[in-house]
Amino acid sequence: MRAVRRLSAVSLEAARLGLHPGQKATDAMALVPELAAAEAEPEADAAALEALAHWCVRYSPAVAIDAPDGLFLDVTGVDHLWNGEAAMLADFRGRLLANGLPFRCAIADTPGAAWALAHFGEEGAIAPPGGQGPLLAPLPPAALRLETETWAQVERLGLRQVGQLMAIPRAPFGRRFGRAALTRLDQALGREREALTFRRPPTPWYARLAFAEPISAPEDMARVTGDIAAKLCARLETQGQGARRFEIAFHRVDGKALPLAVGLSLPGRDPARIAKLFAPKLETVDPGFGIEVVTLMAQAVEPISGRQVRLDNAREATVEEGLAPLVDRLTNRLGEDRVWRAGPVESHVPELAVGRLRPLAPAPGPKSPQARAWDRQTPRPTRLFRRPEPVEAVMALTPDDPPSQFRWRGQTHRVRRAEGPERIGEEWWKGAIETVGVGHVRDYYRVEDEAGARFWLFRAGLYDDPAQPPKWWMHGLFG
Amino acid sequence: MSVFRGHSPRDGGLGALRAKIAAIEASGRPDSGVLPFGDLAVDGCLPGGGLPLGRWHEIGGTGLEVETAAAPAAFTALVTAPLAARGQVVWVLRRDDLWAPGLAGLGFPPERLIQVCARDEAEALSVMEDALATVGVAAVVGEVEAADLTAGRRLQLACEKRGATGFLILRRPYGGQPKREATGSAAATRWRIASAPSEPAAGEFGLGSPRFRVELERCRGGRTGTWLFEAPGAYDPAADNWEMTDVAHPLRLVADLGDRQLAPAQPLRRAG
Repeated sequence: MRAVRRLSAVSLEAARLGLHPGQKATDAMALVPELAAAEAEPEADAAALEALAHWCVRYSPAVAIDAPDGLFLDVTGVDHLWNGEAAMLADFRGRLLANGLPFRCAIADTPGAAWALAHFGEEGAIAPPGGQGPLLAPLPPAALRLETETWAQVERLGLRQVGQLMAIPRAPFGRRFGRAALTRLDQALGREREALTFRRPPTPWYARLAFAEPISAPEDMARVTGDIAAKLCARLETQGQGARRFEIAFHRVDGKALPLAVGLSLPGRDPARIAKLFAPKLETVDPGFGIEVVTLMAQAVEPISGRQVRLDNAREATVEEGLAPLVDRLTNRLGEDRVWRAGPVESHVPELAVGRLRPLAPAPGPKSPQARAWDRQTPRPTRLFRRPEPVEAVMALTPDDPPSQFRWRGQTHRVRRAEGPERIGEEWWKGAIETVGVGHVRDYYRVEDEAGARFWLFRAGLYDDPAQPPKWWMHGLFG
Repeated sequence: MSVFRGHSPRDGGLGALRAKIAAIEASGRPDSGVLPFGDLAVDGCLPGGGLPLGRWHEIGGTGLEVETAAAPAAFTALVTAPLAARGQVVWVLRRDDLWAPGLAGLGFPPERLIQVCARDEAEALSVMEDALATVGVAAVVGEVEAADLTAGRRLQLACEKRGATGFLILRRPYGGQPKREATGSAAATRWRIASAPSEPAAGEFGLGSPRFRVELERCRGGRTGTWLFEAPGAYDPAADNWEMTDVAHPLRLVADLGDRQLAPAQPLRRAG
């Protein structure tokens, strides 16, 4: 075998100059001396194609890679999301164009017909249901994805169009060109099924249980949930991994998949616990005519061997067996935003100084770049109103004095003692510069009325603008 | 844990009788001990010489505080601060207005606090029950309007499972009508908390340490009373760790108000 360098792909400009893939590099150089050639990188091409396949999931979950340069998308039942196939194809083309990718695409009933139209037909063709025959007829026989020898023979016999092949009776066609060619023709016309290898979900932590008979009884669903959890957790355990999130999907006989998800506060792999978390949600699953397949996927997988219960530390064991299941139960029942631990956020603005952490997240160490803890020396209220409430009839001796009397929620309070002001400015470095002004300055006072109730109120703005007198607000209660 | 002590009958005959009754009442319930306030005037009113642990307590407010419940929340945070050394504290809310920096200022460790926002009253009570029966939870605080006898009994059973202590802050929703007062209750104690005027040290300006007028309205196996408490360690990082300092309890008794109504008349207080 001679080592001959050939062109593996050419740009549009090069094609216009008469170059074509498969041409010897020396010939091409002779034709176009200023040719800029780059080494072919099949691996990089394959990786790019795979990335494109992942991207195409936005159009359809079923994407198959047709190496080296094609993709099949099964768009059955998804085109209505774009109001029809034409609109979907337009959107698809627009996005690819915006990315600068050269492409040809087509929609047809069968993968074979779509391939033929995309490679040899009119770009962007949409074959009407069942109508791919007339569209395929004028295309060259190569559009049928024939083997090289078969294709050469077809050419030698002077058959220039698919339509001529379609006209040949099946028996002589099979005898002359082989069984494979007949299959290809049938696949293109929808007379035979074609199996595509669709892309796998990216997580390898995936388990599947298929049943000989569809199940529908609630107790059966609870049992298979435990079974599939045990199956996946056994794998997780051998690898020393645990997962934070589990997604189960019940695939019904009618092809519909019903997903459920649960989250864990700490990565775990205890099948009984996971099944228990799913148990209250199972009643929302309508099994219809029965469930034939169950899949379970683990997400946010991380090693947990380092988290093993230690015999010398009782508290660690407590978290694993007591608190973590409690937090999981509450989070899955109430929702993730309803169970939290308050953590400090670096901000002067009171309502921004508290962030929500995961309840069992490890506390940041003293040297970590996390926010500093709240200053315990400056008094802060136990209740902070999400929206400060207006305070009326505020009387103060001088503009910068704390109020001596105010009215809030219909009751007049006479101030006996007061502290302040504590001036808190807005975070001007975060917003637009035009909005910065003295109107956002807040002067906080901690006051105590005659009954002993302690309030945290503030005056927004300064007194220097007579048109906009400062307003008083109640922001919190000390109790 | 020197601050926790078990039952200690003070005098012979009466003590023995009390112990007998307690044994009948408990019916196999594990003894979780008590949390003394560190002053005989208060502890003498409470059965066993301190706030009973492994039970649940009702804490109410007065006047406007029936809706905002700031003073009850501050009082509860101060009482549960010593318990937080034993485990986590779960605080079940209906409105998300509890502010962790304020609790930290009172000396409550915010890293021990898990906040849960329930959607309705029944859910809040069931979350409380669930949390009380969990290993590693020392105390559960719930903000609900009221707990009827059944709910209270369920809470009590949950408390007994692991010896966790429950606190029910009675809080009416904003603009809601007052409910009919529950006739009976399974709570060990019922408190009514109001803020009281603070007294700064001589020569200092501003506000002093927070003070509370604390009324023990009902107490199983004990007596009622009214006291004035002060939180001397509030907003003072030096008093960070209760066990390290000589302060036995974050609350210090200032005065025994008894039934004499020495405190100024409360204009905020309304009937009902």
